[in-house]
Parts: sequence; structure tokens; C-alpha cells
Amino acid sequence: MLTSSNTAVPLRDTAQPLLELSNVEVVYDRVFLAIKGVSLKIEQGQMIALLGSNGAGKSTTLKSISGLLAPERGLVTRGNLWFKGQDMLPLTPPKRVAAGLVHVLEGRRIFEHLTPEDNLLAAFPLRGSRQRYQELREQVFTYFPRLKERARTKSGYLSGGEQQMLAIGRALMTEPDLIMLDEPSLGLSPLLVQEIFEIIRKINEEQGMSVLLVEQNATAALAVVDYAYLLENGHVVMSGEAAVLRENPDVQEFYLGGAGKVDYLNVKHYRRRKRWLA
Amino acid sequence: MFYRLSGIHHTRYESARALWPVTADRRIVQGLLLLAVAAPFLLSDLYLTSYMLPWLIWTAAALSLTLLMGVAGQLHFGFAAVMAIGAYTSIHLTRAGVPFELALLGAGLMAALIGCLFGAAALRVKGLYLVMATLAMQYLVEWTIINVPAISGGAQATLSTPDVTFLFIPLQSDGALYYTALLWTVVVTLLIMNIKRSSFGRALVAVRDKDFAASVIGVNPLKYKLLAFFASSFLGGVTGAVLAFCYYQAVTPEQFGFNVSIQLVAMVLVGGLGSVIGAYLGAGFVLLLPIVLTNLLAFVAQFDLIPISFNLLSHIPLMVYGALIIGVILFEPLGLAKIYDNIRKYFLVWPFRHTQS
Repeated sequence: MLTSSNTAVPLRDTAQPLLELSNVEVVYDRVFLAIKGVSLKIEQGQMIALLGSNGAGKSTTLKSISGLLAPERGLVTRGNLWFKGQDMLPLTPPKRVAAGLVHVLEGRRIFEHLTPEDNLLAAFPLRGSRQRYQELREQVFTYFPRLKERARTKSGYLSGGEQQMLAIGRALMTEPDLIMLDEPSLGLSPLLVQEIFEIIRKINEEQGMSVLLVEQNATAALAVVDYAYLLENGHVVMSGEAAVLRENPDVQEFYLGGAGKVDYLNVKHYRRRKRWLA
Repeated sequence: MFYRLSGIHHTRYESARALWPVTADRRIVQGLLLLAVAAPFLLSDLYLTSYMLPWLIWTAAALSLTLLMGVAGQLHFGFAAVMAIGAYTSIHLTRAGVPFELALLGAGLMAALIGCLFGAAALRVKGLYLVMATLAMQYLVEWTIINVPAISGGAQATLSTPDVTFLFIPLQSDGALYYTALLWTVVVTLLIMNIKRSSFGRALVAVRDKDFAASVIGVNPLKYKLLAFFASSFLGGVTGAVLAFCYYQAVTPEQFGFNVSIQLVAMVLVGGLGSVIGAYLGAGFVLLLPIVLTNLLAFVAQFDLIPISFNLLSHIPLMVYGALIIGVILFEPLGLAKIYDNIRKYFLVWPFRHTQS
């Protein structure tokens, strides 16, 4: 575990994880403490979920990784962020993308007035070769055949699911080592969620690309990921293999809707037990 | 510290929604009001009439504009024209024998009427296009005032304000002029603060933030945009009249030129869009800073440490002033009000660093 001193040298030993957050604290507007020391690790090729309820700090964690806090008056006030052994905190968001880290924003944010094809082209580096672009585009189209069918319509006219596919495809055009997805299931039908998650899993397996999936929909997320962190109130309260978490009674109760009847005495009891686990 | 939240518990909605729910804020406001009332006895005539008085009146103008630009989100680059309409209307009305109190009302109504006419453009256009429409208002109103002798009294004429009484007090002494301006500014301040916490204010903010979302929850954007133009222009018109009677005491069209409109926009932006305290800070910044800078520079130049030519001496304050405006906008896009708010929040949670909810 890294201590929170800023004197650490930029490059560390070779047995490092792909991404490591250690004790990251984020403050919005200088007074509002949003996440209070989040630490997590992602190994090369791993698929990880970050679960939690509304306001737990999931999106804030992602934004601190991709560097998008500044427009929202947020600031990383403590902690370290290493990506491939490189300190990411001083880098601007475009530099972090160049380092191989890409963030698919919540709510898609595609360029509505461009066609899907132009959306993909917009994400491709300016100095890249035409051939590489075509390879990547074909790759995106094989993962998302529906995008190919609609490649020449305005993106604003795509359905919600297609827009989400386009947002993921656009992220793939930057050839990332780690793709971070913020609620890809937002507003999609259960079948479409399943389809998209399966495609993400396929990309993860075939490309060896690491995935960090932020989700409210814990059931769907735990079905595809290897490992998950549970975030609550700005803290990581639990983490473990997806299979283990699925069996955990607390997780079932609070995130998977397993228990059914609510008994207030037991809820209290569980809350206390969760503290212990954290 | 003087800002404490501990011990402040609201058990009734009225107290929780009071204008200043935090005791420390209330104390500060009371103290400042007391100082403002005592100002004629504390300050020399020069400071009272050439610093405090214009500051108060321009604050009222900035408050009127921030209601439109900040709260309702409708850009207006012709607000000096609105004030000009108010100023000229009030002068002509008082010359015709109408009491000053009614002339102020007339000035407001006339400005609101003409303001609404041009504001109607806002029903169709937004953003930069609205800026163009309001710029057109600035130039049309200016042109009309200059070229219609019945209004301006001739192309080069200066209309001086007749002697009037306000609430049975003759507006002759510096004190009377000052208190009239203070009264108007306090009235506008309380009005805007109350608009912001009323359903009218919330409707304006809804229209500003997302007009189609406002219309699906039953807020009619057309109606509220027009109402915003009406209310803001009314206040602007009365402020123009107060400016003419209490400060200038004679009006010419140049006093309400395009540069004045830009200055007003600068006050609102530097102060912080939609903020009441921002209007005070912004007006103070835009109005008083050049004066302070000039005095400061003249003071430094006395010592002959560095040779400064007379020409340069008059330009340096302008340059520093421009740099400061850019600096404020760059450093804190939400303006001086946000800087004040940050400091206040720091003390509210002191000795802790953050709040958690």
C-alpha cells in the first residue's frame, strides 16, 4: 500500500497493476467531500465493477481517474492515481486518453449532429494512419453490427441502445488499455443491457482490454465481471470476486433485492454488520 | 468564529426560509445597513456624493439587470437604453408638473413597456441572437432620443432636472439625494431577494436552465420571459430616473451610451450572474476600481521613482482594470460573489475542512 506522500517517484516496480487508486479523496466546490479515500486496483485484462447506490461516489471516482473533475469544480485533494506506473493526476484529460485510459460518460454524450461514422472518426487520433482507422472502424462494426447499418444517419436519430453502442465504439477508437463505462445500462431495456454487457465481456476477452464498469444494476454487472468493489457514502465498503459477492447475504439484501420482506430490526443488524465488513 | 451554524435550528418553515437564516449573516447585514444610514455623518461630502451615491445607484441598476441576465438567463446588451427611457420620461413628467413619486412610476412603466417590446424578440431568439436584438434596442433608443427634439431638447442639449420633493422632502441637499438613492437600492435588493425565493423566481430559473423542461412542467416560457423583461426594465427605468435626479441632475444622451450598457454587463458578470451581493461587489469593482487605481498611481508618481509620462499615467489604470476583469473571470468564472461565498463557506465549516452532505 502506498502512503499518501507526494514524494513518490513516477515509476515503480514492474509488478504493478494497470491502474491503482490509493486513498483518493475528492472535494467539490472546496467544501463538499464527495469521496473519502477510495483505493482500488485493476490488473491488466481484468473486468471490474464499481457498484453502489445513488450518490455513493461512483461517477466521481471515474471522473477523478479520467480528469473530468475541474469543470464541475471538483479537486483531488489527497491520494495517488497510478496508471501503468505513471502518475496521472497532473495530466489533462486528453493526455490521459493518449496514455490509454478512456471514459465513456454517463448518458452517452455522442455528437448528435455527426453521423456514427464521423463520431468514430472524431475519436481517432489526428496523426493516425487511414489504414489503422479502417481496421478499428471495422472492429467496432463487428462488435456492434447495428452501427454499420445506420452509419450514415445523423446520430441524434439513433435509439438509446444504439447511441450507447456508439459511445462505447467511439471509446474503442482511441485504442485504450482501460475502458471505463459509466452506467451503460442507463435507460435501456433488460435485453439490450444483457446484449451490451455481453459485447463488453467479449471485447474484454478478445482484446485483453481492462474494463471498469460503474453500475447501479448490480445483478447484471455481477453476472459479467471478475471482481467488484462496493462503494457506499464515499467509501469502499466491500470488495471481492464477483462469484463471492453474489453469494454474500448483505449484497443480496442491499443490491440484488434478494430478501423480499423488510424487517427493520434486521436491517439495523445488517447495517451494523456491514460496518464490520468495511 | 463569527459564522456558526451550530445552535441554529429551525423549527418553522418561516424561519428556515428567512432572507438571512444564519445569525451571522443577519448581523452583518444589520451592521452594513447601519453604516449606510450613518454614512452622511461619517463621510465627507466628496466621498458621499462621488463614491457612495453612484455606487448605490449603479448597484440598483446592476440588480435590475441581474434579474434578467442572471436569474432569467436573457442576455441584455442595451440596458443603458432602458435607463435612458426612465431618465427622460421622469424629467418630462416632472416638468409637466407630475409629482416626482408618480414620475418615477411613469418612468418605470414606460421603460418596461418599451423594454418588453424589444424583449419580445427573446420569445423567438436565444443567446447571441438575443444580444443582437438588444443591441438594436440600444442604438434605436439612442437614435430616437438624439433625433427627436421633443425628447432630448435638441441634438446637443442637456436637460437639467427640475427641483422636486420626494416624500415631502425637497431633493436639494446631499443627504436627501443620498437617502433617496439608498432607499431605492434597499427596495430593489429586498425585491430581488424575494423574487429569487418565490415561485416567480423559480419559474424564471426553470426557463433559464431548460426552457422546454420548464414548459413540460407547466411553466409558460413565453410568459415568464416577457415578465422577466417587464420586471427588469421597470426597475431599470426607475433606476435611470433616480440616477438622473440624484446623481447627474442633468441628462444628455451620451450618459446612456453603448459603453454604459457594456459596463453594466461587466458589473453583472464580474459580480456574479444572478447574485445580489454580486451586484454590489460588481458595481463597486467596475465603478470604484478605476478611481482607486488612478489615485494609487498618482500617489506613486509623486515620488518620482520611475518616470511616468502624463499620457501613460492616464492609460495604466485602464489597462490594469481590463486585466483585473479578465483575471476575475478566469480565476473565478462565477464572479466576486463566488469568491465571497467560498470564504463564507470556509468559515461556516471551520475548524473542519469540508462538509459531508
